Amino acid sequence: MKRKRLFLPLILALMVMLAACTSGGGNGNGGNDPAPSEGENSPAPTESAKPPEDDGLYSIEDFSNVKKNEGEPIEGGSLTFGLVSDTPFEGTLNFNFYSGDPDSQVLGWFDEGLLTWDKNYVYTNDGAATYEVSEDGRTFTFTIRDNVNWHDGKPVTAEDWLFAHEVIGDPKYDGPRYDSNFTNIVGMTEYHEGKADTISGIEVLNEKQLKITYVQSTPSLLTGGVWSYPLAKHIFGNMPVDKISSSPEVREKPIGFGPFKVESIVPGESVVYSKNTDYWRGEPALDEVVLKVINPTTVIQQLESGSVDLVDSFPVDQYPDNADMSNVEFLGNIDRAYTYIGFKLGKWDAEAGKVAPDPNAKMGDVNLRKAMWHAVDNDQVGKRFYHGLRWNATTLIPPSHPEYHDASNPGLAYDPELAKKILDEAGYKLNGDYRTKPDGSELVIHFISMTGGDIAEPLARYYVQSWQAIGLNVQLEMVEFNTFYDRVGANGEDDPKVDVYQGAWGVGIDVDPAGLYGRDAIYNFPRYASEEQDKLLAAGISAEAFDVKKRQDIYKQWQQLMVEEIPVFPTLYRAVLAPVNKRVLNYAIGDGTGIYLHQLAVSQDKPFVAEK
Amino acid sequence: MGNTYGKRPEADRSPSGWRILWREIVRDKVALASFIFLGLVFLAVYGVSLVLDQKQIVTVDLFALNQPPSADFWLGTDYGGRDVFGQLIIGTRNSLSIGIIVTLLTGLIGVLVGLVSGYFGGTVDNVFMRFVDFFMILPTLMVVIAFVTAVPKYGVVSFSLIMTAFLWMGIARLIRSKALQERELDYVQASRTVGSSHFKIMFAQVLPNLSSIIIVTMTLNLAANIGLESGLSFLGFGFPESTPSLGTLVSYARNPQTLEFRWWIWLPASVLILVLMLCINNVGQALKRAADARQRRG
Repeated sequence: MKRKRLFLPLILALMVMLAACTSGGGNGNGGNDPAPSEGENSPAPTESAKPPEDDGLYSIEDFSNVKKNEGEPIEGGSLTFGLVSDTPFEGTLNFNFYSGDPDSQVLGWFDEGLLTWDKNYVYTNDGAATYEVSEDGRTFTFTIRDNVNWHDGKPVTAEDWLFAHEVIGDPKYDGPRYDSNFTNIVGMTEYHEGKADTISGIEVLNEKQLKITYVQSTPSLLTGGVWSYPLAKHIFGNMPVDKISSSPEVREKPIGFGPFKVESIVPGESVVYSKNTDYWRGEPALDEVVLKVINPTTVIQQLESGSVDLVDSFPVDQYPDNADMSNVEFLGNIDRAYTYIGFKLGKWDAEAGKVAPDPNAKMGDVNLRKAMWHAVDNDQVGKRFYHGLRWNATTLIPPSHPEYHDASNPGLAYDPELAKKILDEAGYKLNGDYRTKPDGSELVIHFISMTGGDIAEPLARYYVQSWQAIGLNVQLEMVEFNTFYDRVGANGEDDPKVDVYQGAWGVGIDVDPAGLYGRDAIYNFPRYASEEQDKLLAAGISAEAFDVKKRQDIYKQWQQLMVEEIPVFPTLYRAVLAPVNKRVLNYAIGDGTGIYLHQLAVSQDKPFVAEK
Repeated sequence: MGNTYGKRPEADRSPSGWRILWREIVRDKVALASFIFLGLVFLAVYGVSLVLDQKQIVTVDLFALNQPPSADFWLGTDYGGRDVFGQLIIGTRNSLSIGIIVTLLTGLIGVLVGLVSGYFGGTVDNVFMRFVDFFMILPTLMVVIAFVTAVPKYGVVSFSLIMTAFLWMGIARLIRSKALQERELDYVQASRTVGSSHFKIMFAQVLPNLSSIIIVTMTLNLAANIGLESGLSFLGFGFPESTPSLGTLVSYARNPQTLEFRWWIWLPASVLILVLMLCINNVGQALKRAADARQRRG
C-alpha cells in the first residue's frame, strides 16, 4: 500500500550492490539516470552476522508480506514511521519532480497515483481513476472518481492530469520524468520542442475524463507506462515551469490527495501528517503519522524501544542477530533486484547511440564465460554470507516478477570440474598456475567490484579465488561506487582495462529488459547485442504480447538465450525485510495486496517495547 | 634528581650520549619493561610473519565465517572466514614497518634540511624555511587521503613515501632551531678557523651534539606515525583489506554486529595498538629526560 508508487517500465536503478538495499524500484520514475541510486545506498554499513550456534539459515518463504493482526484497533492513535537513511531527505515533495527514494517515501503518505496495480504490476480499476483501452490498444480513456479531492477541498480534475503532462513535457521542466513514456504520447515530441502549443494526443473530455493516445501500443503501457500523477493546476498553474520545483507548495506545504495531509515539516528530518477526513477511499483510522529520518546504525535500538513502529527498509544483514526481537513482526518480500557478474564484450558507440560489440573482446569466447559461471558456488555464498536471505539466481528476470520469472530454467550450476573441462576443450591450456588463451598468449582477466558494505571485499575475493581455482588469472580491483559505474560505462566511456565486473540492478515494475540489455541502452554495460535478442525484445513489447501467455513465452526464450550467451550471469536474488511493531494493524509490503494506508491502525496507544 | 650527579664514581670523564640514554631507560623500571616488551613484540611479529603465508591468511573461506577463537583459529575468524591471529601478526608487521620507515625517512629529510638551514642561516635558512612553511600549511591528512585514493595500487613502501612527503617538517624545524644555537658556539668557530669544511663541521661535529634530541624526537614520532597509519586504515584510506594492518582490524568494529557480538575480531588489535603506543611513549619519555640534564634520574 504505501509502496503504491508508479514506476515507468524501463526504470532500472543501479544499486550499490552489496549494501542492503531498499526496494529496487525506489527511484521511481527516474528513468535512465544512475544518480538516484544513492537512495538505494542508504542503510547498511554492515553485512555479516549469524550466530554460529545454529545453522542460521532463513528463507524468504518463511516470511509473509502481510502483517498478522493481533488485537482490536483503537479509535485514532498515532504512529511513527522511520525513514532509514544516513542523509536528510531532499524535500522535493511532488511526484512530478522528486528524484530520490527518500522523498518518495515522504510523498507516499500524503499523495498517490490515480491508478493502482495488482501484484503483477498491471493497472487495475480500483484506484482513484478507472481506465478503458481502445481496440487498437493505443487510446486510453480515464475517469477520475467523483469524490477524489485535493487536500484544500478542490476536486482533482482531468485538467490537473493534463497539466502534469504539460509541465513534464515543457522544455523548461527541470525534473527527471521526461522519458520514452512521454515521447510515446502522440504530439508530445512536438510540444516538447516548442513546435506545438498543446499536446495533440491528450484530450480533456470533461471535468473528470481524460483521453490519451499513444504512438505505439505495448503491454508496457499497462505496467507503469501511463503517467498517473496529476498536478494541482489551481495552485501551480500560474507559476513559471522552472520555478515550480522550488516553490513553497512543493517544499514547505506540499499538496496531494492521499490519506494524510502534511501538518508540518522539519526540512530533511521529519514530517508530521494528520488524517485527511475527506480521503476518497474513506476516513483514515489513524489520527496522526510522524515520519522521521533515522540512521541505519540505530534502526535496531529504535525498533526495540518502540520509538519507531515501521521502517521503510531494514539492513538485512542485521536480521540474524535480531530475529527474535519480541516486539516486532518481520515482514518479507522478494526484492525487484539481482546481483550479477558482467563480461565486457564491446564498446559504446556514442555517435550512433548503440552498443558496438567486438567479436575479438577478451571475454568474447562463450566457453570462457560459461566456465566462469560454473566455477562459482552462489548457493553457498547466499547461505554463508547472507544466511539464505539472498539466494542463488538463475535467470535475468527475478522471481519478484512471478509471471515472467522462468523457475524451470536452472541457469548453470556450480560445477568446477565441468568448468575445467570446458576450458580444456576450448583450448585454454594450463601453463604453470594459470591457463593461456587458445592461441598460447597470456590471459589476465581484470575484475572490478564495488566497495561498500563489509561483505563486498570478501565476496569479490571469493569469486576471484573460485576463478583462480579453475586456472584463470583474475586480478581484482575494488573501486568505490561512482568510479565503478564510470569505468563500466555509465556515461558511455568504457574503461578498456575492465573485463569482468560485479554489479547489481534494481528492475522496474514492467518486465521489459530492453533498458538494460537492448542494443541502444547505455546501461547495456556488457555491450552485448545479437539479432536474436533484438527480435525477442521487440516481440516482448509488441501488440501481440498483450496476450500474457505469449509474452511469458517470449521472455522465457529471452531468459534461455541469456543463459546460453551469458553476456552477464545473475548471482544472487534478494529479500527485503520490514520489521513492524506488533501494535500495527492492516499493514503489508509489496504490490497488489489490497491493503491501503487509510486502513492502517494500531491496537494500543503506546508501541510495544522489546523484552530483553 | 640532581643529587646523583656528584655521586658518580667515574666522574673524571663525562659519559657518552648513548650511555646516558641507556642508563635512563634502565633506571626507569616502567620504561625498561616497555623496552623489553617492545623488543619481544618486534621479534615475535617479524619472526612469526616469516613462516606465515599471507596469501593463505587473506583467503576467503565460506565455511568458516565469524568463528569464535578455537584451536584452529587462535583468535577466531572475521566475516570473510580469515584467520584473525594471522591478520594480527601480519597487520602488526605492516603497521610497524610503515611506522619505522616513515620515522627514518622523515628523520633523514628533517635532519638534513634542518641542519643545513640552521647552520648556514641567512638566505639559505630563509629559502628552506619558506619551503617548510609551505608544506606546513597543507592540510596533511586531506592531502594524504587524496593521494591514497589517486594512487591505484600501493604497498608498504609507496604508502610510507606518501606519508613521509607530508611529515618531515616538524623535525626539520626542531633541528634547525637547535643548529642555529649550536653554530654560535665556540667549537664551531674554532673548527672553522682551523679550516674544516662546512660539511665536516655539520655532520661530524654539530650533528653528534644533536643526536640525543634526534633520537628522542624520532622515538616519539614512531608512536605518532603508527597511530596515523592505523587511523588512515581505520577510515578506509589505508591499506586494502587484502593487506592487513592494525587499523583495518579495528575498523571491523564499525559494524555494530561485530562490535557487539564478535569481540575477537577487533579487541586484540585495539589492545595491541594501545599497548604499543604506551610502551613507545614510556621509552620516549625516558629518553627525553635523558636528553635534558635537569630532568635526568640516572
